[in-house]
Order: sequence, then C-alpha cells, then structure tokens
Amino acid sequence: MSGEVWVYSESEAVASEVATAADDVAKGASAHVRMVDISSLRPTTRGSGARLLLKGPPSPEVSPAVAAEALARAARELAPLAILLGATRDGREAASRLAAKLGVGCMAEVAGLASDGQGMTGERDVFAGKVVAKVRCRFPAVATVKVGAYPRAVAQPADAQEKDVGPIPDQTKTLGREKKQAGSVDLRSAKVIVSAGRGVKKKEDLAILAELATAMRGALGCSRPLSSDLGWLPEEHHIGLTGVTVKPDLYLAVGISGQLQHVAGMKDSKIVASINTDKDAPIFQASDYGIVGDLYQVVPALRRALAARR
Amino acid sequence: MAGLDIGYLAAYAISLASVVVVAFVTLSLARKWSISLGPGRVAGLGRDEARRLRTGDAVFLMHLSIALGVGVTIVDAVIAPAMAGVPLLLDLFRAASVPLIVGLVVAFGWRVQRYYQSRRVGRGLGVPGGFASASTALQLVLMAAIALTTSELVLLWVPTLGWADLILDAVRNALVAAYYARPSVNLIAKFDRPLNSVSTPFNLADVIAGKTDPGAIRAGVGKVSEFSPDQSLSFDSCVEIGACEASCPATAAGRPLSPRVLVRKLSLLSRADGGGSDVLTSVGEDELWSCTSCGACVASCPVSVKHLDLIYDLRRELVSKGRLDREKSAMLANLAQSQNPYGFKNAARASWAEGMDVDTLQSNPKTEYLYWVGCVSSFDQRAQRVARALSKILKHAGVSFAILGAEEMCVGDPARRLGEEGRYQELVLQNIEKLNSYGVKKILATCPHCFNALKNEYPQFGGKFEVVYHTQLISDLIREGKVSVPPDKVQRISVTLHDACYASRYNNIFEPPREMLEASVDDVREMGRRKEKTFCCGAGGSNYWFKVPQQKSIAGIRAEEAAGTGAKTIATECPFCLSMLDDATKVSGSGMDVRDVAEIVAECI
Amino acid sequence: MKIAVCVKHAVDEAELKIDPAGNPLLAGAAGKMSTFDKNAVEEGLRLKAAHQGAVVVFTVGGAESKKTLKEALAMGADRGVMVVSDPTALDALRTATMLAAAMKKSGPFDVVICSEGASDTYTGEVPPMVGELLGVPYVGYARKIAVEGKTARIERSLEDSVESVEAPVPFATSVVSEINEPRYPTLIQIMQASKKPIEELSGEELAPAGSRTWVEVLSMSSQPTARKHVMIDGSPDEAAAKLLDALSKEGVLK
Repeated sequence: MSGEVWVYSESEAVASEVATAADDVAKGASAHVRMVDISSLRPTTRGSGARLLLKGPPSPEVSPAVAAEALARAARELAPLAILLGATRDGREAASRLAAKLGVGCMAEVAGLASDGQGMTGERDVFAGKVVAKVRCRFPAVATVKVGAYPRAVAQPADAQEKDVGPIPDQTKTLGREKKQAGSVDLRSAKVIVSAGRGVKKKEDLAILAELATAMRGALGCSRPLSSDLGWLPEEHHIGLTGVTVKPDLYLAVGISGQLQHVAGMKDSKIVASINTDKDAPIFQASDYGIVGDLYQVVPALRRALAARR
Repeated sequence: MAGLDIGYLAAYAISLASVVVVAFVTLSLARKWSISLGPGRVAGLGRDEARRLRTGDAVFLMHLSIALGVGVTIVDAVIAPAMAGVPLLLDLFRAASVPLIVGLVVAFGWRVQRYYQSRRVGRGLGVPGGFASASTALQLVLMAAIALTTSELVLLWVPTLGWADLILDAVRNALVAAYYARPSVNLIAKFDRPLNSVSTPFNLADVIAGKTDPGAIRAGVGKVSEFSPDQSLSFDSCVEIGACEASCPATAAGRPLSPRVLVRKLSLLSRADGGGSDVLTSVGEDELWSCTSCGACVASCPVSVKHLDLIYDLRRELVSKGRLDREKSAMLANLAQSQNPYGFKNAARASWAEGMDVDTLQSNPKTEYLYWVGCVSSFDQRAQRVARALSKILKHAGVSFAILGAEEMCVGDPARRLGEEGRYQELVLQNIEKLNSYGVKKILATCPHCFNALKNEYPQFGGKFEVVYHTQLISDLIREGKVSVPPDKVQRISVTLHDACYASRYNNIFEPPREMLEASVDDVREMGRRKEKTFCCGAGGSNYWFKVPQQKSIAGIRAEEAAGTGAKTIATECPFCLSMLDDATKVSGSGMDVRDVAEIVAECI
Repeated sequence: MKIAVCVKHAVDEAELKIDPAGNPLLAGAAGKMSTFDKNAVEEGLRLKAAHQGAVVVFTVGGAESKKTLKEALAMGADRGVMVVSDPTALDALRTATMLAAAMKKSGPFDVVICSEGASDTYTGEVPPMVGELLGVPYVGYARKIAVEGKTARIERSLEDSVESVEAPVPFATSVVSEINEPRYPTLIQIMQASKKPIEELSGEELAPAGSRTWVEVLSMSSQPTARKHVMIDGSPDEAAAKLLDALSKEGVLK
C-alpha cells in the first residue's frame, strides 16, 4: 500500500518537528511524507520528502479555519492516509475542524507515533499527566503532534507540487496580534517556575533567582512572606493557598520551608526540586530532588552549570 | 439636710417617676423580646459578673462601676426621704460611693480615650459623616450618663443639695431608659450564651429527608429587616463602649473592620428606612472577610452584643450571592470535591504515621480513643511532626488510640466560618455517620477548630462523643505520672505560650498547656494577652485561605508580643497558629522557634 | 441571547486510584465538572446578564453526568440537556456529533461556549468540532468575549501572543481559565436547582448512521506519582550538575 502522510503547521519550527513524527508513521505504513504549505511556499520549512503547496486562500496569514478548509479540500481529492499537525493552539483548532469536515478521527497531542499499516497509534498524557494512554485511529486519520516531543527533521531537497483549492472566505477577521509581555508573570501557564522563600535574606538578592528563572526559561514565584508580608515581590508572584495555584513541569523551590500554605499551591507540579539549608525542611517531603545547601552557593552553581550546557 | 419642702418633694416625685419609667421601659422591652427578667436570670448574671470580676478585666471593672453606680444612685434616690432619719444608711451609701466614683472617673477617662480612638478608626475605615456624628452623639450620651452618675455620688457628700441630686437622678434615668434599658435586657438575655454557639439557618438532614423544601431555605441576611429579633436586639444594644474594637485583631492590623462600627452601622441602617435596604451597600465585603472569628469582640462586650452571629449571616449572604474570590471558591470547591480544603488526596492522610505503627480504626476498632488528626496535621509536613509527637507521647503512656486514615475528612469548620452552611452540614452528617459506624465514643483532637466543632457543634446534628483536646489528655497523663519528664530531660529554654482562640476563649482550656510547659521546660513566660484574652494568630474564621487588605499582619503583631517576653520559643497548641507564627517569626527575623506544646513534651521523654 | 454551554462530567484526576499494575481504576472513579467548564458556564451566565436571554447546558455521558449538569444549573443556567451515552465509547468526534445534533434540536443558539479542554482527557477537540458541525464561525481559546449587536470581539490567548478576532453572531468559542472566576454554587443552591428542567436525549438516536468511535484507547499506564525524595549531595557545583542531569532526564528542562 502506498499513500501519503501530510505535515502541516502554521509554525515552521513545529512543522519540522511534526515531519520527524511523520517519518515514523510513514515507515510503518509504507507511505511518503509530504510537507504542506498554504498560500505561499515557506522556503525555510525543513522536513523530509516532497512538498505540496495549496493555493487559493488569499492571505499569507492563514487562520485555523482557513487551514482546515484548505487541507480538507485537498485531502478529499488526494486522499492522504494521515494528516499531522503541530499541537499548538492554532494547530489543535485546525486539526479538529479538519477531522470534523472529513468525518475522520483525530488524535490529540500525541507522541510516540507509529503505524501498523491500517492506522496509527500514539501516546498521550491524560488525567493531568498521571496516566499515559495509548490510542489508535484507523486511516484516514488526523493527529496533532505534541510540541517538543520530536527533534526537528533535517531539510531535504524536495519538489513542490501545487494544488489550487480555490478561494476560501474567512468568516472571522483578525484585528491584531500582540506579543504577551515578556516581563509579565503568568505563573499559571509557566512550564518552569523558580520560586523564592524566606531563605532569601534581602530583597536585592531576588535578582539572582530572577536570573536563574530567565536562564531556565521560566518565571519567578515566591512564598507568602515575600509578597504579602515583606512586599519584596508583587502579589501576582505569590504561590500558595492565598496566592495562585500552579502546575508547571518543573518547580524549583529555593529557600522555601514548605508550609502547607505554600505546598497546596504547587503540589500538582510535575517535578519539584528544592534547595534549603535545613535538612529537615518540610519542602523536601514534597520534592523529587533536594539539595541541602546554601542557596547563595547553589544558585550561582546552577547558573554556571546551565551556561556550560547551552 | 434639706427639709421636706415643696421643691424637694417635687424633685423626689420627678425622680421617682423616672425610676418608674426606667422600670416600665425595661419590662416592656423584655416582654417584646420574650426575655425573662426573673430572679434566676438576674442571679445568674450576678454570678457571671463575679466571674468576670475575677479575671481582672479593666473594661469590665469600669462597666461594673457604671452599672453599680446607676443601681446605687437609683436606690439612694428612692429611699432618699427615709435616709434623713437613718444616718447609718447615709454612711453606708457614702462608703460605697468612693470606689464607685473612682471607677466612674476612670471609666470617663477611658471613654474620652475611646472617643478619640473611635474617630481614628472611623477615619481609617472611611465611615460616612452621618455615621461619625451618630457615633459621637451616642458616645456623648454615655459620657453624660457617667458624669451625671458620678455627680450624684459626689452629691451624697453635700447634704444641702439633696434636691439637686434627685434632679440629676431623673435626668440620668431618662438617659438610662432611652439608651441603657435595651443593652441591659440584652445582657440579661445573653450573658450565658457560649461563644461557641452558632446559629443554624436550616437543617440539612431535614432537606435530605424531604421534610424541608430546599427552595424555601434562605441562608444569609441581605437586608437588616431579615435579621432575627434576637440579632436586632444585639446590634441595637450597642452603646459604643468600644471594648470590641480595642480587642479586635482585625482592627489592630488595620483591616477594614471594626466590630463596633459594623454593629452600629446595622443599627443605624435598621432605623434609616425600616431595614429594607441592602446591607451590603453599607457593609463592605472585605469588612466581613476581615473577621477571624476569634471571638475577642463577643467576649469583651460588657452588654453581650453577639457580633459573630451577625457576621456569619452576612457572610452566608455573600456566599449565596457568589461573591467569592478565587481563593475562597477554590477552598469550598476543594471541600466539595476532596473533602479537605486543600484539594489533597485523602489517601495520603496517614503518611505522617508511616513507620510509627499507628492503628487505623479499620484495623483496630477497639481502641479507647479515635485520634482525629485534622487536615493540617495530615497534609502540612511541619504540622505532621505534631501528630508524630502526640503519637509518641500516647504510646509512651500506653494510651490506646487509632486514626481514620484515608477515611478522615474535614470536620467542616472552614465551610461554616466562611458562610457555606450547607457544605458544613454535609461534612458533619458524613462524619457522624462514619464515626457512629465505627462505634467511636472518645475523640482526641490536636486542632482546636476540629475539637470545637466535634465537641460543641456536632451534638446538635446527632453526633454525641466525648471529645478531648490533646493538651487536656497530656496534662492528665503528666499529673497521673504516666508521662514524666526526668529532671535531666527538662529543656533549658525560655518559652511563652500562645493560647489558641478556639481552645482558650472558646473552650476555657487554659491550664493544661501551661502544666505541660511547667513539666518540660525551665523558663515559662507569659504574654500580656493570654488565656481568655489571647490575641488571634490571624488564621481563624477561614482567614487561612484568603487575603484581606491590611496594614500589618495579625500574626506579626502577635509574634512581636511574644518576642517582647524575651522568650526564645513560642509554644502553640494549634496547627494553624503554628503555621502563622512560624511565618511571622521568619518575616520579623526574630529567630524565635515555634513548636507545639506536644512536641516540646515529646522531646523530653 | 440564546447561549449554549457544553460541560463534561470528568474523572477527578486528583482522586484517581491506580492499581498495583499501574492501571488507572476508571470504573467507579470519582467524577466532577471538568475544571475549565466552570469558566464556560460562568461566561455564559455573564453574557446572559449583559444581554438577557437564557443559558442552556449540554452534556454527553452516563447517568452520573447529571451531577455536573445540576452543578451548572445551580450556578445559574436555566435548563439542561443530557445526552445519554456510554462514556467509555466516546471519542471527540462522536461527542461533538451528539452535542451538535442536540443543539440543532433545541437551538438555534447565538453563542456556543465550551472550555479549552476537559481536565481529564484534555483533547480540546470537541469545541472546534461542534462549531464545525453546527456550521458557525469558531474562535477558540478566548480570554475575553464582548458581544455588541451582531458582532463579537474575542481575544484569543495563544502560546506567546494575544490575537484579537472579530466574529459574526452566531459563533462558537472555547474559553481559557483566565477569562473569569467561576462562581461557587452552595450545596443548597445545588439542591434547589434540582427543580430546573433537564431534558434527556439518547446519544445513539442523535448520532447519524455510520458515525462511530474513531479514536480508541488501547491501553493506559500510570506514571509513578509519589515524589521521589532523591537527596543530592556534593559540593554546590557537583550538586548543581547532578540536579541538571536529573532534570533533563525527566524532560522538564526547557
């Protein structure tokens, strides 16, 4: 059986990750991978195999609605086995609509993709990451691929086939797009949080934790005394019962003793690491990794070690 | 001595009439609220006043000077004509007048100071001008009544002005009839109502059984007119003595609450338009959330105004209207979903007991005590050490106990104090069913909030258990010699005890934690505010779960007071106090150690 | 304004038990209204408060889903529609098909609100599929919705940007949690809401012929959830290096 596995993402970087996943599916299904572009060919898109340019939608800015319709029109004609998108917010929206248009199944945010020839399987996190579900969907199928789960594919020379899918009106109008402010704290959606506690001796010392947070591409949080009592950080940094509740992938508690007040606000973090001078500090009971040590020595050491790795 | 001239007789008649008016007004108020003024109540009040006298409460001494001053001068006026012939009687009255005059002068001084204090609090709260002037007027009336009574007592020493004494008496009695009959009646009705009693707007068991239509339930009060007569008597009895405000931790922390202002606002509102307007337009949400339910206001009020009773009903209204921020709704949602206010998994409740060989009721239902661990000691890694310390002591003393483990749930207190009565009763009913299914008779608690609910509130819902606080049991074990600290194990540390409101003020447990400290450390120091006058840690009334705007932290004020004793350790008896004061000492940098009394004892055995 | 809100009676992941072999015990697992669905109901109620009209809540699932429907009614929704279907045989497309069919029966609606994803399975696919199947414009991940006349302005919260979008009414949307603070219904309000009407529909009858479960779950296995309590020793530099090694092995270092 010979067929195609299509790859599309509005983000070029994500598209090259999805391409790697598509290779795995294509291998199992004896299919070819085809990178899809809509409206205009994106020269930097990396990925293996052939390319397909869907022409018709007017704007270079392709909304999820337009992407879904363009892909659906092309798929009805060219009948690929599978269409893989990146599990970005836009990608998930486009994939779901595409699946509904085609009347086929859609696997959401999967990793570990494979194919048995008749369909594809993938693994996804459910129940807040406590459980991994292995799911399967018969071909033809749509899926979104977990961002960051695959390395980017190496660019390969490819011919670009063009396909006119006709004009696609967008019922909605994009008025503008603004970058979320880099400095703003959105602890609730942060993937990495470095959090400061009373072990920090003075306000100025928070700078070394802020730098560590930046180096780890995370946000800076704190326990109640630092925001509510000492006012060293604004309230929006305060993690705990009386502050925000967070669930990052990595929570690094620095100089935090680990009272319930605080732990209740971060208990759902995937991995918790902590640094405290007191080996009996309760925070170690709530941690996966603990370092008994002076934050004024360990934090700079972490910065050096991070710098050495990057 | 003035002769029985016409002028004197007229003054006597006026004075006598004023006494009749006072009596009439008092009796009709009592009839209106169906309050017994019988000798039993009055004698009971007398005993209660004597009890309070023994606590040496300054505000109470002043209050007593006023009450006795009024009483003595009324009797003096009534028997004035007869006194002329009995010099001994006059001497008696003169002798009594001296301490009363001193008390009244001090009371007047306190009033003046409270007046300026109340103006300052009023400015801080931004009370409207109308409120400030009404407040000033009432305080001036109080000062006038004190001044008149003092003058009357002074005039006892000036025989030629007997008629003037009678006229002053009549004027003062008019003020008493207009302003003090109501608080007196309120006092007689409520002096013995325990601080731990909470009104119950509905009975969930009846709703579940179909006896009550849930649609007919009104939990909370939105208009002043919806307050019960008992409650309106409460707020109408306030004469701005200001004892509540002086003892309130929320006011002290600069939170937007003064119990005096709140109660007076309700009173003025009830008169403004018949009580038909929305209370929440005059009373702020944070004003209501500021209360830690520590009960200092209720306990200090000389005329038995029950502030908490009003605050709970107004909070219930906020909850019914969904006026909750994220923290408060998250706490309630956690209680609904996980049966604990933190959203932790109940399966982990017994993790503190790992390796300690602690039985669960499932494995050993025949134990003497059920140890009700409580959510904080179950989930807070720090407070878990208290549970371990208690277990160590109990095992050492050979006391048989077990825990519920994963089957334990929240006692319900945070829901009730926040104003979600339904969720509270749901937890109560579920807990009672479970406890009864295991045939539990005796319960031991380390959290005074759990203790208070189990002991004082559960019986109303059919849960009848013998409930013991850990300090009571441990101090008993020490007294019985089952726990003894060898002299070389006595800790050479200086400790000051922070009484937990719900153990001390709510349940009169004062000596047990002190006995524990006396037995285990060599230097125990006392803070000024202790026992029934303890100062809150700031966590009660569900305040542990949310934030209220404030100028300083309540725990910070208390930690400072503790540091003032020069002690190096604060001993607590409640896991919430432990957590709050632990934070506060870290913030202040005082370096004080905070430990539960059970931990201190456990270290010595 | 007629507003439809979709809610799911989700597995309470916090109380989910795992058997010794690592399999989640889904049968009899505690359920709750999916976390973000509360934001969806709240947003529906806010739109109703601003524009009058009615909020109708829809759910698909087994009998226990009624609990979640009642919670939404207790929050203030006017009536509920319960599509009865075996929850173990529902994938996103099948769920969306039933929801869209139920909405067509009791519609048309001006606004259809879902949440960004269910707190248990979190596919986030049902909302766009419902929009697609109803044939209305769909704008997902809303953090702000303002409707004026026949136009809605919606702020979409994307990974690192906020997009402002204009959509004509009727439209469908999904909300993110930052859009509002959902109200808490009291226990008594939940009991009072039992008087509000709930219409029951059969999912099998609603789903058109040929519709089936597309995505099947082959197996589930759990990750260890207990904290590992690994203490790292050594000099600060050694400890830092060991910690980073461990964290990158966990895949949490970005």
